[in-house]
Formats: sequence, structure tokens, C-alpha cells
Amino acid sequence: MFNPRLIRRQILGSRHQSIVFVLCVLLSMLTLVSLSGFSRSVRSSSLRDARELHAADIIIHSHTPFSSGLLAELSDLKQKKVIDSARITIFYSVVRAETQEVSLLAELKVVEATYPFYGKVELVSGRSFREVLTPGSLVVEQTLLDRLNLRPGDKLKIGNALLTIRDVVLLEPDRPVNIFALGPRVFISEVDLAALDLIGKGSRVDYRILVKVADERELERIAGLLDNAALPDRERVETYRTAGSGIKRFLDNFLFFLNLIGIFTLVLAGLGIESSLTAFLAEQERTIGIMKAVGAGSRFIISHYYAVVSVLGLFGTLVGIGASFLLQGLLPNLFHGLLPATVQLAISWSAVVEGLLLGLLVVTIFTFLPLYRLKEVKPRAIFGKEEPKRLPSRATWIFAILIAVFFVSLVLLRIGEVKIGAYFILGVGLLILVAWLSATGVLWALKKLRPANLVLRQALKGLFRPRNATLWIVVTLIAALVVIFSITLVEQNLEETFVRSYPADSPNIFFIDIQPGQKEAFAKELGIAAIYYPVVRGLITAVNGVTINREQEHRKRGDNLGREFSLTYRRQLLDDERLVTGQGLFRDDWSGPQVSVLDTVLSMAKMQVGDTIAFRIQGIPVEARISSIRTRSRASLQPFFYFVFTEEVLKDAPQTVFTALRVEKERTAALQNRIVARFPNISVIDVTATVAVFSRIMERLSLIVRFFALFSVAAGILIIVSSVFATRHTRIQEAVFFKILGARRRFVFAVFAVENLVLGLTSSLIALLLSQIISYIICRTELDLGYRAFPGISLLMVLAMTAMVIAVGLGASVSILRERPAVFLRQQSEEG
Amino acid sequence: MAILEARGVSKSYTIGNRRIAVLDEVSLNVPDGEFLVIQGESGSGKSTLLSVLSGLDSIDQGAVLIEGREITNLPEDELAPLRNVFMGFVFQSFNLVPALTALENVMFPAELRGDQQARDKAEKLLARVGLAERAANFLHQLSGGEKQRCAICRALVNDPRIVFADEPTGNLDSVNGQAVLELLRQLHRERQTTLVLVTHSREIAGTADRVVTLRDGRIGVDNTYV
Repeated sequence: MFNPRLIRRQILGSRHQSIVFVLCVLLSMLTLVSLSGFSRSVRSSSLRDARELHAADIIIHSHTPFSSGLLAELSDLKQKKVIDSARITIFYSVVRAETQEVSLLAELKVVEATYPFYGKVELVSGRSFREVLTPGSLVVEQTLLDRLNLRPGDKLKIGNALLTIRDVVLLEPDRPVNIFALGPRVFISEVDLAALDLIGKGSRVDYRILVKVADERELERIAGLLDNAALPDRERVETYRTAGSGIKRFLDNFLFFLNLIGIFTLVLAGLGIESSLTAFLAEQERTIGIMKAVGAGSRFIISHYYAVVSVLGLFGTLVGIGASFLLQGLLPNLFHGLLPATVQLAISWSAVVEGLLLGLLVVTIFTFLPLYRLKEVKPRAIFGKEEPKRLPSRATWIFAILIAVFFVSLVLLRIGEVKIGAYFILGVGLLILVAWLSATGVLWALKKLRPANLVLRQALKGLFRPRNATLWIVVTLIAALVVIFSITLVEQNLEETFVRSYPADSPNIFFIDIQPGQKEAFAKELGIAAIYYPVVRGLITAVNGVTINREQEHRKRGDNLGREFSLTYRRQLLDDERLVTGQGLFRDDWSGPQVSVLDTVLSMAKMQVGDTIAFRIQGIPVEARISSIRTRSRASLQPFFYFVFTEEVLKDAPQTVFTALRVEKERTAALQNRIVARFPNISVIDVTATVAVFSRIMERLSLIVRFFALFSVAAGILIIVSSVFATRHTRIQEAVFFKILGARRRFVFAVFAVENLVLGLTSSLIALLLSQIISYIICRTELDLGYRAFPGISLLMVLAMTAMVIAVGLGASVSILRERPAVFLRQQSEEG
Repeated sequence: MAILEARGVSKSYTIGNRRIAVLDEVSLNVPDGEFLVIQGESGSGKSTLLSVLSGLDSIDQGAVLIEGREITNLPEDELAPLRNVFMGFVFQSFNLVPALTALENVMFPAELRGDQQARDKAEKLLARVGLAERAANFLHQLSGGEKQRCAICRALVNDPRIVFADEPTGNLDSVNGQAVLELLRQLHRERQTTLVLVTHSREIAGTADRVVTLRDGRIGVDNTYV
């Protein structure tokens, strides 16, 4: 017997709680559904534009010049007119203005005339890229012109060549995002590569061959032929379908992290759903008592209120889906610079279905307990008799288990990785537990206080008024604020260490790609004592005889053994290194190749002294025994190497040399110009400028994370609002009695304000303490940084959050303050 | 057979650390069709006695029987339909559902029972008490007397065997109070419903078939009239 009119009237009669309930449902799904839709849009854009994203059907990568076997296969296929190909060579080098003593690190991309096969390089002039990039010409990014004070028509010295700037690039199809670049783009014709004379043995170069197939149906077969001809572990052949892209991997990782925050918000919003429904049903208690008194059974009552909840939940879900799409529309602005311009946002129906299912699940699970508890409402509730508090019933435990199962399932489904999922679940569980324990302790202490000040005394009593969800408000706020405070503190410490106060002993300028034969001349030109690090590129093929699965390694989050490493050789430890295991860097009593391993590698694979690692170094297999495990004794920007060999293993391998120096800021430009003029092949990286680039990226990323974390704070805010409305009658009663007894309106205002002040301060201070601890642990153990507490910023965060709680609490209480005693008293007598 | 019987009923409440005995081994028989008044001063336990007799509240000791069937230990889900069919309630504070109109309030118990004639019966009852034109009004649009008349209609819509009235005139002025009382008596006579009414008013008690006086949780006097 559902009574739609009664349902509607009850919802409207308790509209404040109904609105809070709807908003909690909305909040629970907002971030997850918007991120889900956003991810799908990015992914489908990537797939749709995959060819453009790679500018080819097949992409072959290598960090060394291509092997003759592969080149022969390519030539054969080209002759048969089955494919067309274009060579690309990408590397960093310093470029100089012809007439000025200014230079700049730029990312050079040397291309053959057929590039790109798909997509278009868009130029400011609107002309065809292929027409503009003729031998002797350059196409550059606007940033280069701005920084070197040049314009089209001017000349640029690159290596040993002097080339003319012809146009400015706006969009590059296979580099959709340039936020991570260390220098502006410069396009050069393949014909001019030799003239540059910049590439030597061991130079850090990204060699690519782009292939276009004549017949799409032959794609896999041709890719297979090329893969067979390629050198394993050195030359990688991928099709546009299988090739990953750096930006996609970055976005996947970042969205993964944001999803974790979305799940966290969902849990807090779920608590808000439970809290607001409990408050809603508390307002209905007398009605429920009356219904039971006239014969309604529990089944009828629960069914009726489940219908109410379903109406509100459905409405909240639909509004939530709408809001998710709105938020999804805002995300491109938020991710500006991190997203390819070609990403098109689309409303995905699978995201809609996911949203509906999520909303249904969230509402069902988080409303289970309050609805089930309706059984406990007795008819004597009409007499205003409160039921005695009971120990948690079986239903409470079922509720807790349901929530736990839901949370764990959601985490594992969204994250897809059991280990990280388990850490996340443990972390959130621990956070809520610690928040609950600390909140309980502090509130217990506050309850014991008997301050002399009347306003403060009444305010503290108000915290413990019946149906005031003070504990859950504080717990939710603490949990949400810990996330935001921690992000801020970690970011500040990173900024402090690497940007604002650049470590005094850290190098600020790196010279890389020094050829071994140039070392002496370079040192003389440099005129400063420096440590020179030889660098040889190599891959790991096996550990203790177990072959590395490169595909599996690449899929891991964080660093992995599947990538290419910079290997070096020397005889002693560096100043900032110390041994963890091993008698010395190398063992005199061992024969054969030895390698010392940095302890960071142990997080990628289990290794110990005595184990063997198989490398492929410039095509030559080398198996080395681990002689020691090192660690860095302090965090710094000094160069470090994961693998250090004995000299005899690598000294004859093709290599480059680099050095890192500390130079006064005023001298860096002149030094750079002088070195590059004499040694055009040497790349000079001004680390402080690079750090500034990363600082901007970090700032953008933490802004995005904080934006999403704010939604979890919103959950706490909603619980505050719900609690104010739940205790509305009692608050009005208090306010009226105060006034009857002679208090002015400002006294009542002060009591409510101080109550919210205590609430806000308690939550913020506990959150600050916890986040200081968490941030300290992250900075010291994970990031290996020093730690500062940033008292000023901490105080600001506490004050801001407290002010917000006061504003919300008072805002919700405004109508209570306006209530007139006579009106209230008359209503009371009428109701009996 | 008595329609309603209490045997050695005791009831106490815990307030803070104190246990307060409200009813102390109360025994009572109510024959079918009787108009019984339970009288007593404020705090004598009369409202509590009413609530335990009607199954609205539990007891610590003793037994309550309705038509010979013990209801003392019945679970709430069995008591509810019993109340729906067998009993009607009129409270001092009216205890109508604010979100329902007068007509809907009266219909509610009948709808719970699945009575297809619920609307008809409710309209007739409201007309009987002079509220036909107020059927569509919500509670805040009714006066105290009108609310109580509405509550009486609700109590009678399922033709209960017993009507429990707890200080039905307590929140009304004397004119309305008299009118409500007279209505209750009329309906009791017309329908032969057993009427158990709680009051502290001797005047009202004087109109009953029998008066039971409670003092400090015990039955002090049990007379046919005062």
C-alpha cells in the first residue's frame, strides 16, 4: 500500500534533510562517474586518433642506430611498394642565435620529407609543412623565438650548421602535449643531419622509423616481418594499436590516483547518506510511532520508507549523473596543457549505466542500517519516550560488513591491482580508525570541561545535544582534511627543497653527451674542477637466470627493470653514498664482471649480494655478480647510478661522458655559450630552469588533486548541515528559552558560533597533526627529503577550514536565530 | 469473559540511575462494552496503565490479556495487526500524522487492513462528527477540537472492540472538551464499544460505568461510580 502523496509530503516536510540526502548521493558518484567518463573520452580519442598520435601505422624505436638487418627488411618492403617509411631522429642539443651570445637547450626532431604519414604539423603561416621544411630550413616553437629574441628569417646555429628559421609550429600530431619538454621543439630536415655533426657514439638519441602500410589488412603481417628482423631488446616494433604513448601512460597513472580520491569521497559521502537518513527518520519517529500504534507492522513501515529513500536516491542519482557530465566538461580546463588538443569529450552511455548502478548500490548499502533500525521504533515513541541505547546489533555488524565488502570490491574493480588496492584500503581504514579514536578522545575531554564563560559552556553542551552527529562530523572532516593538508605539506616541502631553496651543494648545470675524446679539451675549456661520469646505455635481460619480461615490467607503476639504464664504472663510492651490504664497492677475491647496485633497485626486484644480473650492453651480453648494495646518504641532486661496474667491464664500450657542476647563476649563460660554441654536440641543461618547469607541472597536478579532494570535504560539510537540521527543534527550543530568560540575540548567535568554532578547530587541528605525521613519513622515507612543518601555511589551513565550518554551521542556523519565542511556545502548546 | 484483563501488572522506568516503579501489581478486569474511567492524580501511573493495557508499552511483570489471549510477550509484528483491528486510540496530543489530511488520517488504519471501503467509512465518520467540510484540510488548518474529533474518527474506522482514550480533553477548552466527551459517549453507546478512558477529572469520571482510581501505581478504589 504505497501512498505516493504521503511520500511526497514527507519528503517536502523534511526538505532540508531530503536535500542533504540527495546531495550526498550526488557527491558519492560525482567524481568517480566524471573521471570514468573523462577516462573513456581520453581513451577513445587516443584509439580513434591513434594513427595521428603516432603519425604512422608502425613505429620502430631504438636508442642506437638501426641494425642492418632491419634496414634491409625495410628496404625490401619499400621496393615491393608494400610500405613507405620516414626516419625520425630526436635528441636534445643547445642551439644558438647567429648574432647574439645567447643559447638555449632545444629538443631537435630531424625528419624525412614524408613525415608525418597521418595528422598534420600545423604552422602559423598555414603553409604545408613539407613545403616549408626544406634542407637548410627550420620550423621552431614560438617559445624559442621568444627566449632567443628571434623571428622567422633569422638564423640559428645548431651543431656545426647554420640554418634559417622559416616558420613556427602550432601543433605536432605525434607530440600532443609539450608540458614535459625540457626545451622548445626545432624541426630539421633529415638532409641536414650530417651537417649538424652532433651525434656521436653513445649519444642519447631517440631513433625512430615511421612506417605506413599500403594495405591496412597487411599491417600485422608487415609488423611481424619487421619485428623478426629487429634486434631483440634494442629495437622495438609496435603498431599504432599497440604502441603506448607517454602522455597516455601519464594520464592513466594520474587518473588512477584521482580515482582513489573519488572512492575516498564516495565512502565519506556514503557516511553522509547514512547520517542524513538517520536524521530524516528521527524527524519521522513520532509519525512512525503513530503508524505502529494504529497497526502498521515493521514491514509496512520499512517498505514505505524504502520507497521514500528510493525516490530521493533516484533523484540524487540522476542529478549526480547530470552533475558528473558538467564536471566532465570542466575537466579539460583543469587539465589544460596536460591533455592533447584533439581529445573530444563525449557522453558515454556506459558511464551513465555505471552511474545508475553505482547510485543504486550506494543508496542501498548506506541506507540499510537506518531502515533496518525502524524495526526498533516502538509505538511508545508517540509519548516521546526514548529507547535505551543498545549494544551494536547483528544488523549493525551486517551493515559494517556490507560497507567493507562494497568498498573493497569497488577499489579492486576501479584500480585493478590487488597490492595497491590492499594498501589503499588499509590506508583509508587506518585513517578513519585513527580519526575516530582521536575524535572520541578529544570530545570526551571537551565533555568534561566546565568553563566559567557562559557562552563557551553552552556551546560545549550544544556539541553533545541529542541527535547531534558531532562525532561523525569530526571524523569525516578529519579524514577529508588530512588528504588536503597532506598534499599541501608534501608539495610545499618539494617546492622548498628543489625550487625555492635549491640545495646549496647541488649541481645546477649538467653537461651531457661529452664524447670521451673531448673530455680533456672540455675540462680545459671549463676551467673548473669537476667529476666526470662515463655513461653506457644498457638493458637488463635476466636476474639470477630468470629472464625479464619486458612487457610485464613496463606495465608496473613506478620504475621497472624493463627500461634502458645508464650504466657507469668507477672504483670508489661517491661522497653521498654509503654501503648497505658488502665489504667494499667491489670484491678483490672475485673474478669476472661485478656490479654494485643502488638500494632503490631492490624495490623493483629481489636481489642480494652474490646474485647475478644479465645485461645487454650495446648488443653485447654481460653477466655481472652483485658485489655490494649502496644507498645514498642524503637526498640531493648529485648524479647517481643504479648500476656501477668495475672499470674493465665497460671502459671500452661506446659511451659518452657527463658532468654536473655548481655555477653561480650569473655565470651559467656565459658558460653555456662558451662550451656550446666550442663543442656543439654537448648538451647543456640548466637544472634550475628545468626544475622550474617541473615545479609548474607539480603545481598544476596538486591543484587538480586538491580540487578533487575538496569534494570529500564537501561530504563533511553536508553532515554538518544535516546535523544542524536534525537538531533544529532542540536548537530552537534552546534559543527560545535563552531569549525568554533574558538573553539577547547576539548571545544566542555567539553560542552557535562558538559551537561551530570548537567543531571546526577540533577537526582541523587533529587533521593537521595527523597530516604532519603522514607528510613527514612520506617526505623522509619515500621521497628522501628533509622536512619542514610550515607553521604559517598550517595555521592558514586550520583557520580557513574552521572559518568554513563556522560559516556553514551558522548559515544553516540562521532561521533558528530568527524564530520568535511566542510562535514557538504556541506551536508547542498546540502540539501538546 | 472480560474483554480486557490485567493480572498483577508491574512496570517501572529507569531515569538516570534511578528506577521508578510506575505500576505495582495492578490487576483489572474490563467487561465487554463497559465505559471504564481510570482516574488518578498526575504521576499516579494512569497513562502508563493505559499504554500497557493497549500493548503500546511492555511490562516488567504480570500479564495482559485481550479476550482471554495473553498479549504480554507478543512480538511487535503480532501486536500491530491486533491493535489495527481490535483497538482504537485517542490521545491527549491527538497524535495525528501531520503529512496527511483529516480524511487520510481517518482512512489510514482501514487502508492498512486492506479495506476497500476505507474512504467511504472515513467520510461517513467525519460527517458524523461534523468535519465533512474539513476532510481535505491538514492538521495545521484544524482547531484543537477538530483535531480531536478527527482522532476519534480514526479510532473508530475499523470498528474496534476497545477504544483507549488518554486524557482526550486535556488539551481542549471546556466547550470543546465537553463536545468531545459527549461524542465519545454517544459513539460508545451506538457501537457498544468498550471505552477505557484516562482522566484526572472527577467530572468526567462521573459519567462512566465504572471508575478505577490509581494512586502511586496501585489501584486504590474500584467503584461503579464516584
